[in-house]
Amino acid sequence: MLTALILAPAVAAIVIALIPSKRREVHLPLGIALSIVPLGLAGYLFWVFEPLPGYQHTIDAVWYEPWGIGWTLGVDGISLPMVVLTALLIPIALGASTSITKRTKEFVVFTLLLEAGMLGAFLALDLFLFFVFFEAILIPMYFIIGIWGGERRIYASVKFFIYTALGSALMLAAIIGLAFSYSSEFGSTSFALADLMEVTLDSGTERWFFAAFALAFAIKVPLFPLHTWLPDAHVEAPTAGSVLLAAVLLKLGTYGLLRFNLALFPEASVDAVPIMGVIAVIGIIYGAVVAIVQPDLKKLVAYSSVSHLGFIVLGTFALTSGGLQGAVIQNVNHGLTTGALFLLVGMLYDRRHTKAIADFGGLQKVMPVFAGFFLFMTFASIGLPGLNGFVGEFLVLVGSYATLPVLAIIASFGVVLAAIYLLWAYERVFTGEPDKEENKVLHDLSPREIGLLAPLAILVLVIGLYPAVLLDKIGPSTEAVLDHIESSTDYVTPEPGRLDNVFTAGGDS
Amino acid sequence: MQTPDVNWLAIGPDLALALAAAIILLVEVQWKPLTRTLGFIAAGGLFVASGLAVVQWFFAVDAASAGSFSELSAFSGMILMDGYAIFGRFALLVVTALGVGSGWQFFKDLGRRGAEGLALVLLATTGFSLMVSSNNLIMLFLGLEVGSIALYVLAGLTRQDKKADEAAIKYFLMGSFASAIFVYGVALLYAGTRQLTILGIGDFLSSFIVGSPGVILIGIGLVVVGLGFKVSAAPFHTWAPDVYEGAPAGIVGYLAGVAKIAGFAALARILLTAVDDFAWSFLPVIAAIAVLSMLLGSIMALVQSDVRRMLAYSGVAHAGFILTGVAGFSADGILFYLAVYAVQLVGAFAVVAMVSGSSGSSSDIGLYRGLSRRSPVLAGSLTVLLLGMAGLPLTSGFVAKFGVFADAWFNGYEWLVVVAVIASVIAFAFYLRIIVIMYMEDDEAEVIAVPGTVRWVLGIAVVATLIWGILPGTLLNIVADALPL
Repeated sequence: MLTALILAPAVAAIVIALIPSKRREVHLPLGIALSIVPLGLAGYLFWVFEPLPGYQHTIDAVWYEPWGIGWTLGVDGISLPMVVLTALLIPIALGASTSITKRTKEFVVFTLLLEAGMLGAFLALDLFLFFVFFEAILIPMYFIIGIWGGERRIYASVKFFIYTALGSALMLAAIIGLAFSYSSEFGSTSFALADLMEVTLDSGTERWFFAAFALAFAIKVPLFPLHTWLPDAHVEAPTAGSVLLAAVLLKLGTYGLLRFNLALFPEASVDAVPIMGVIAVIGIIYGAVVAIVQPDLKKLVAYSSVSHLGFIVLGTFALTSGGLQGAVIQNVNHGLTTGALFLLVGMLYDRRHTKAIADFGGLQKVMPVFAGFFLFMTFASIGLPGLNGFVGEFLVLVGSYATLPVLAIIASFGVVLAAIYLLWAYERVFTGEPDKEENKVLHDLSPREIGLLAPLAILVLVIGLYPAVLLDKIGPSTEAVLDHIESSTDYVTPEPGRLDNVFTAGGDS
Repeated sequence: MQTPDVNWLAIGPDLALALAAAIILLVEVQWKPLTRTLGFIAAGGLFVASGLAVVQWFFAVDAASAGSFSELSAFSGMILMDGYAIFGRFALLVVTALGVGSGWQFFKDLGRRGAEGLALVLLATTGFSLMVSSNNLIMLFLGLEVGSIALYVLAGLTRQDKKADEAAIKYFLMGSFASAIFVYGVALLYAGTRQLTILGIGDFLSSFIVGSPGVILIGIGLVVVGLGFKVSAAPFHTWAPDVYEGAPAGIVGYLAGVAKIAGFAALARILLTAVDDFAWSFLPVIAAIAVLSMLLGSIMALVQSDVRRMLAYSGVAHAGFILTGVAGFSADGILFYLAVYAVQLVGAFAVVAMVSGSSGSSSDIGLYRGLSRRSPVLAGSLTVLLLGMAGLPLTSGFVAKFGVFADAWFNGYEWLVVVAVIASVIAFAFYLRIIVIMYMEDDEAEVIAVPGTVRWVLGIAVVATLIWGILPGTLLNIVADALPL
């Protein structure tokens, strides 16, 4: 099942690669059609997923016995939302790429390979396997930015590659080190997450390993001050690249912190709470403040990502059930809303070939549907109650108030700042009278574009109104993470943090 | 006096190669045939040698599982037929076949002297094949010289090209210097232990307490330096960029690949079996050479504007990575790394030869502009091979790096692994530079037609890189069978 999920896009990529380049009209439609297959599988996975702790649909095949590496896959409440999100966004990103006319075939192939890599990274439960996917993702993304990106695409793509590779290189050293500790303690070699969680490390080593993992993921997230590759990559990437980068790739960082750092190094994680919390809050405020002054719409959304992802990290290291659930659901929320915002910016760019805020004004009159979608996603991103962003940010703030009250209060200003930069941008782009001639002739969204945005908008609304649909499945897994930390350290989750939160269906506890 | 029994199987592959070389020269003198005919003879020689190597392999596996290790030693221990030797020999044969295939245009362009080129290639392989399979340091030295001298001549075979002459002279001078150092080290080892066989030295050192280890230590040091030259580890690498740049493009991949395989196979055999009781004393030195090679190779490669010089410096870095495996003191990581790297190297130089022309000497990075348009086959293959050399996952290069890093960490060289992973990130930058030029910049230069032999070579190299990256067990199991030494 999970193997099929990873292989489906890879096989689709091979199929498309075998179609001659001359038949350029078939590549994109066929790519979209084939990317429905993993989406169907992911949807089915979501449907049959039982709200229990632990991994489901696990596969444990030996890859190379003497090294103890395995094709170990499994899905739990933390990875499930990401898998569904990835599978959902690929057809949408491809559908938004009709403006790509150069080397369409390669573009579709790289996008599908990217999907296979991302799904693999979310499903892998073997550190070697995870690293393979984590690093292999760089290759297609590098080409997507480098070939189909904007003017400074080469600079951006190389910067993206080297930055992320540097982080993951040290993680590789730490993975080897962990496996060594395991083999000296248990006498056999293994890279399986479940095995490596058993290792007892002395606290010095554990901190070093924690730092190596955290660095890799912090670059990916990206956390301040390691974020400088992100605006470049986002601004230069084609629309589909930006969407996938923001919605899924960055989530590998937050997902990795939650999945690997907390599970493998519980003691160091507890010790690192203040540091990670402060870094996350700096990211929230810094990203928001920088976003306010951006003259470029795409860059503004990029910096808003830095700010929003800070919330996820804050929630993760709050080490409360509210914080963790909020982090996981915010992973999805940010993927939906920021993905949609990048889509919208891309649609605007396709029409006007500029992303500068100053070039626009009064678009509301010319493109009412477009403006409506933009405003809707803006509100979702700000965290208006009833939409998804509210659920995630509320949980994160409530959850982190229990353990990090000062940081939670500072972080809440991030929400206010988000309202400022997003609404101000909306005001400058959409309100007033269209004063530029070019802007008066822009046509509104086509049915295709509405079709791309509608699923995202619906999910934003569903999660906002009935978050239990996700939280029920997330909850048991995040509780399991906390239980593991409590059982391996003397950390005790503070009482309010353990309260079953307000959003869970039934609310009977 | 009784002559020792001739173990035909043990020398079969080498005999086949040497015979093929002799036949090529004789046929050329007598009938002046087409180069193609000579190529068939060379291919036949390689084919027979490979077949015999496979036979040896099964023989060795049988004998090893029966515990009769003495059957694996022939000519009073001059030649060994253990798995390690056969693996190294087979890797050499594969690299030779790929090298001749990718450089075929070069041999054709040599005209009447193509026979010399082919014969020299076969002789070089014979020499190196003896070198990896010898248990005797004198024999090992002879193999090294037979191989090296053939390579010096090959480097200067075009004769008209000044750059190639320079490369050949440089290679010859530095190479003979290195050989002299190596043989002096052998002499000191003999003086210290009164043994010439590798296993003998090992036995001696493990059964006696050495009164004056100084002589032996200096001997080890000189052997390491001598072989360090051959494998272009820093700081003994200075000849490599000039030779890679100057020698005919069609032959560089072969030249670099076989020298690396043979040099490292011999180095690992000596260090891991003969003098392993002295590991405490020379492993830090090996680690230091590894660090220097990795950092210097990666950083110097960044600033090159010639792809061949870049690959030469990347070769220095790779020597450092392999030495990391030596510091890890485990032969399987080294063997795997050697095999995959040599295949990638030959494949990459096949592309270089196509882009610069078989005997052309310029391989400026500008020539690769827009290569993805001009020849998708060349650009695609080179991309896979470069990603493999960079050590990206899903390629054999990643598995190889992972293997040597893990060995080093498990042997207590954590800091070396940290340096190595950082060096490999630096290395990403210059591999990416070539890919950027090929894919992300456009150029209207003419389309490059790729002949069939080169397509085959690239196909094999690319498939090997991917297969061993995705299913490393296919090669790692063989490597595991090849041990113990």
